[in-house]
Amino acid sequence: MRRLRAVRPVEVDKGGLEVVSFCGHCAMRPEPVAQAQPSRVCGHCGLGLVLQATVDLAPRPDEPFLVIDTTLSVCAVSAAAEVLLGIDETQAVNKHVADFLVPADANAPSAENLLALLVEVAGGAGDSRTAVVRPRQEFGVRFRARIGPCGPPHAALLVLT
Amino acid sequence: MFSMGTLRTSEAAALLRVGPETLRAWERRFGYPKPQSPPGDHRLYSHGEVVALRDALEQGLSIAAAVSRAREALSTDTSTLVGALAGLELDRADSAMESALALRPMERSVEEVLLPALGAISDRYGTGGAPWAFAARWADGWLRRAKRLAPPPIRGRAILVGDATRDELDPDALAVRALELFCGRSCVRVMALPVGVASGLSDVVGSLSPDAVVIAGGHVPDDDVALWAYRVRAAAGPLPMALFRRSHRGANVRTTGTRLLPDMPFGAQRELLALIDGRRPSRVREIGAEPVRDGDHEHREAQA
Repeated sequence: MRRLRAVRPVEVDKGGLEVVSFCGHCAMRPEPVAQAQPSRVCGHCGLGLVLQATVDLAPRPDEPFLVIDTTLSVCAVSAAAEVLLGIDETQAVNKHVADFLVPADANAPSAENLLALLVEVAGGAGDSRTAVVRPRQEFGVRFRARIGPCGPPHAALLVLT
Repeated sequence: MFSMGTLRTSEAAALLRVGPETLRAWERRFGYPKPQSPPGDHRLYSHGEVVALRDALEQGLSIAAAVSRAREALSTDTSTLVGALAGLELDRADSAMESALALRPMERSVEEVLLPALGAISDRYGTGGAPWAFAARWADGWLRRAKRLAPPPIRGRAILVGDATRDELDPDALAVRALELFCGRSCVRVMALPVGVASGLSDVVGSLSPDAVVIAGGHVPDDDVALWAYRVRAAAGPLPMALFRRSHRGANVRTTGTRLLPDMPFGAQRELLALIDGRRPSRVREIGAEPVRDGDHEHREAQA
């Protein structure tokens, strides 16, 4: 039987959307490996764990992003986000996301909307959405953010664009 | 010294399923896992630290979060020990140290669990009451028991410790006991004498033939320490002198060429070993072999 080399298997989530893997630090896509149980540590930078998200949500290598768990604690800060926000991942982990980012959408009634969205998404329940955020203590700077589920384990991925 | 509780870089990397260079990158970025690297030796990682990190990585979202979780897992031993000592529970205190030893080598268990726990007790209750007395006596007994399990002094070196602490309830006394333990574990013969003891001192010094003298603790006044140091030098001749946990008095101590050791016992032990090993050729001998006296070497050379 002929093998179609151009065809690659595609992982999909429960909703049928294509899922891709990326490094939680450098955002690079891992090379496919033949090991039965491949390491979760990124083979490119060695400083991040390989996570998964839907293809429309997953960050490109130049996009800054944060990973947040259901307690709204920061679990990962990408290398690009460290530069953009001027924070150090080792200092930021386990701190509340609101210590770094706050909602900046004039139409949103309160900050709870963003936090509620993050909690919902981090629990694996919500779909990908967008929000407008700004760095805490900074004004006049706004970022559009893609927010959606990632993992494992379940967490919220916030990609700044 | 390689032990079952430590892993070489390649072994630690294999356990974590990463390359050795990744392990070093983590050490630079996160300071974890922290290797012990005796001068000239390979890096040795604590098995407990590596396993704690491996477990945290399996369920983690980032290396930084996994490191944080692994550190937290290790720090529970200190909290448990503080709780046991505050609750006057000897068995639970012993268990906490056993748990600490399962994850770390002795030196780090003492420096990262025992001494910080005692520090927490002194912060909470002060050093004048029953809780401190209970905790300090337990810790003193634990360190002495550990010292009895130290290997024989085959390094051929000896250190005389002039104990200038008040008593076993002196907060510095535990660090001095820890220093004695660490030196003993490095196969160095250690003898501690209170600096107030003068009678028979020359016999002790003659018998021990120390390579260095450490004055440890800050309770005894400088004049008494200087007198004791003079008697030791009169008996043994010029010897390297070092001060441990006496830095607040260091400027006034009347000794020459005195070295100030770091306040933490493991750092002090490392400096002491460097001091005495650089002083004269090692007299290392095998266990059970005839003792080697200083004159034997010259005698054999003369025969040759």
